[in-house]
Amino acid sequence: MSHHTSIQPADVSVAGLLRTDDLQQLIDALIAAGYDVIGPKIDQCAIVYDQITSVNQLPRGWTDLQEPGRYRLQQSDDSKYFGFAVGPHSWKKYLFPPQSIVSTATRTENGWQFSTDAPPAPRLAFLGVRACELAAIEIQDRVFLHGPWVDPIYKSRRDAVLIVAVNCTSAASTCFCSSTNTGPRCRSGFDLALTEIAGGFVIETGSESGRAIAARLPLESVTEHHHAEASSARAQAEAMMTRKLRTDDLHDLLLGNLKHPHWDDVATRCLSCTNCTMVCPTCFCSTVTDVSDLTNDHVQRERKWDSCFNIDFSYMNGSPVRNSIASRYRQWLTHKLASWQDQFGTLGCVGCGRCITWCPPGIDLTEEVVKLRDAVHANSEDPS
Amino acid sequence: MTLEQPNFLKLLCATRFAEGLPNKHLQCLCRGARLVRLSAGQTLFREGETEPDVFVLTSGHVRLSMNVPGRGAVDFLSAGPGDLVGWSGLISDGRMTATATARTDSVLIALSGQCLKEACEHDPQLGFVLMKRIAQVLSQRLLSTRLQLLDLFAEGTSA
Amino acid sequence: MITPFPSSHPHNPWLAHSVRIQRVTQETPGVATYDMAFDDASVAESFQFLPGQFNMIYLPGVGEVAISISGDPGQRGVVPHTIREAGNVTKTLARLPLNSSIALRGPFGSSWPVESCVGKDVVIVAGGIGLAPLRPAILHLLKHRSELDELTLIVGARDSSLLLYPERYDDWRAKGMNVLVTVDRADESWHGCIGMVTAVLDRLWLRDASKTVVMTCGPEVMMWYTVQTAIRRGIPSAQCFLSLERNMNCAIGLCGHCQFGPEFLCKDGPVFCFDRVASRMKVEDL
Ligand code: SF4
Ligand code: SF4
Repeated sequence: MSHHTSIQPADVSVAGLLRTDDLQQLIDALIAAGYDVIGPKIDQCAIVYDQITSVNQLPRGWTDLQEPGRYRLQQSDDSKYFGFAVGPHSWKKYLFPPQSIVSTATRTENGWQFSTDAPPAPRLAFLGVRACELAAIEIQDRVFLHGPWVDPIYKSRRDAVLIVAVNCTSAASTCFCSSTNTGPRCRSGFDLALTEIAGGFVIETGSESGRAIAARLPLESVTEHHHAEASSARAQAEAMMTRKLRTDDLHDLLLGNLKHPHWDDVATRCLSCTNCTMVCPTCFCSTVTDVSDLTNDHVQRERKWDSCFNIDFSYMNGSPVRNSIASRYRQWLTHKLASWQDQFGTLGCVGCGRCITWCPPGIDLTEEVVKLRDAVHANSEDPS
Repeated sequence: MTLEQPNFLKLLCATRFAEGLPNKHLQCLCRGARLVRLSAGQTLFREGETEPDVFVLTSGHVRLSMNVPGRGAVDFLSAGPGDLVGWSGLISDGRMTATATARTDSVLIALSGQCLKEACEHDPQLGFVLMKRIAQVLSQRLLSTRLQLLDLFAEGTSA
Repeated sequence: MITPFPSSHPHNPWLAHSVRIQRVTQETPGVATYDMAFDDASVAESFQFLPGQFNMIYLPGVGEVAISISGDPGQRGVVPHTIREAGNVTKTLARLPLNSSIALRGPFGSSWPVESCVGKDVVIVAGGIGLAPLRPAILHLLKHRSELDELTLIVGARDSSLLLYPERYDDWRAKGMNVLVTVDRADESWHGCIGMVTAVLDRLWLRDASKTVVMTCGPEVMMWYTVQTAIRRGIPSAQCFLSLERNMNCAIGLCGHCQFGPEFLCKDGPVFCFDRVASRMKVEDL
């Protein structure tokens, strides 16, 4: 079992080369070690994460074309297993499920009895975790594990996960992980990491559990040539990345301009549909409500993902505090990029680009930041 | 209700209204000042009447009310030590916009509106300082009135 | 990079303690104090809270609501909460018979800075039901009265019938607290002060403004102008504290609802030093 806190970059070493034809053996080894394997597969014209048992379920030879408000799958000219970026799903749906039971209540003769007992967390092996996603998991660890209170559901699931990362060898037009310093290279936070090259995968291990899995694989030794090929494949992802986000001034830029008219400008385009928060791998907002059976003798407290774009998210004394779309978009962006730094010592954005792709009107946070910055600077340079 | 001449200078500079004013200005204020003592229930001035003096409360509790036909006198504000009442005399024609009644035994310094006006005309610096003080008092009272108007306690607050 | 700190709460934060409604005291129309007694004797023994902290009161099948504890922090076994009927949970609670089984999670949140009041003058300014979260601080300070200099409570309410805990004021006065009461609207029977708490604070005699601590709770607008008045009177803003309110759902900083800029009101608040939140209090719809 992987233990996230034990994974340090110092642990990372190259274990060997796994031939393309032997990839099934990795899945088999994970299953043999007691894991359900979760990996990418195509569902409804998108690459999503789901349980897999065979390499045939992987989206081999497919790639994703992403633009603001647009996502399309396309057959690529190579037959790579991992020649795409990230889709609408993220691993958070397994660590912080969209729906979970935090506690139950049962009416007895002696009043209500409460329980927080939960079924044991599933042992999952994530196959194909990208660098930005490793960073997102690390960020959610800070939220759910390293604050004054630990979320028991997240903790039990997190402790039961094994992570097989994959280094990106291409980037979508929406990616900007170089800017947030979260990729594209997987440096830590994994048990195993793969770099796909012609003929196979260069495998690195990052933990004891990773090494144990690697030991069961028919690995060949990695030659100079393989090394060179792997680094140039990784460099290609870096080279393809065109989108940028300047991060050094974000905190003061955003929090210093809470009353800027630009928020009203975004509000004319934003539908407050919550897509951006649902696809974001770091967003963690939720709401707990009571669900009872017909007799009202058994009650479950159900936690569901929520979004700061929902109007009743800020309800207080009968009316919402954030009544306008401008105030809700402002809450989202200032949280992601600014107040997150105060709260958790890091940006809340890992540059995965999902919110750009899955925003129906194609609102691009990197562009909104530029527009706000330009507007603020233009104003301050105004001779008047 | 007028008493023997006390040390107005000392009394006045101990009030919040006059606190920190230079001695020469305080002396101007005290010219023509007198002390007013009210016992509980006594009225200082009435709405609609002309009142030549301006009052600074040094102790006690004076309530301001307005007459509303059908409801009688409606009390809307309390004045306490350090508060200024009857300021209309300095600014407009001296017609009072409220009735002032002592709720407890109270002591006030009555400053002559006429003397004050003359002193202000004569010494614009004093005039400016005094008007600034009065403006401060009025802005506080305006704020307080607005907060009352918002009826803040009507709906939910922190619980 | 922040270094992760170990959890100081081994207890599952979602686990509620079952309690009974032991006593209900009607305070004002729609507001009552509910004394909750723990079913589990060991919980009753170990439950401790700091003045200003809150519990999540839980009615299974209905929901939870964040309520400040309004009792004496030194008292064990029974935990009083003064609650206004407002939403679903509080309205249902108001209809429950005595001895009903309900539950609570807590205590959560930050507390009034009662420890730093030693050797200082203290002015407590409460508006409406805002007196309830301040009551534990009042009871604590009265118990340690000799360690303070001046102790003043300014209470404001809409009218005299809506004053909270009026029957206690004389006792509090007898124990050494200057209690000043003011109402927005006076009827015939009211002989006291009329006007906002800010006006009372304006004329309050201060022994030494620089050594005065202000704690205020009530509507946000009232708290804002109370602190403005305090600052104008020379009280350092770093010595002014207030209790903010936002929608709270989880109470443990994980659900995101109660964010106020970088603060999670449930774990960083509800009690804040004014300086920490001042710049955001006048940002609309934050
Ligand atoms: S804010 Fe957008 S780009 Fe950043 S991590 Fe979330 S979904 Fe990805
Ligand atoms: S920014 Fe886009 S995805 Fe997010 S709520 Fe607005 S319209 Fe929806």
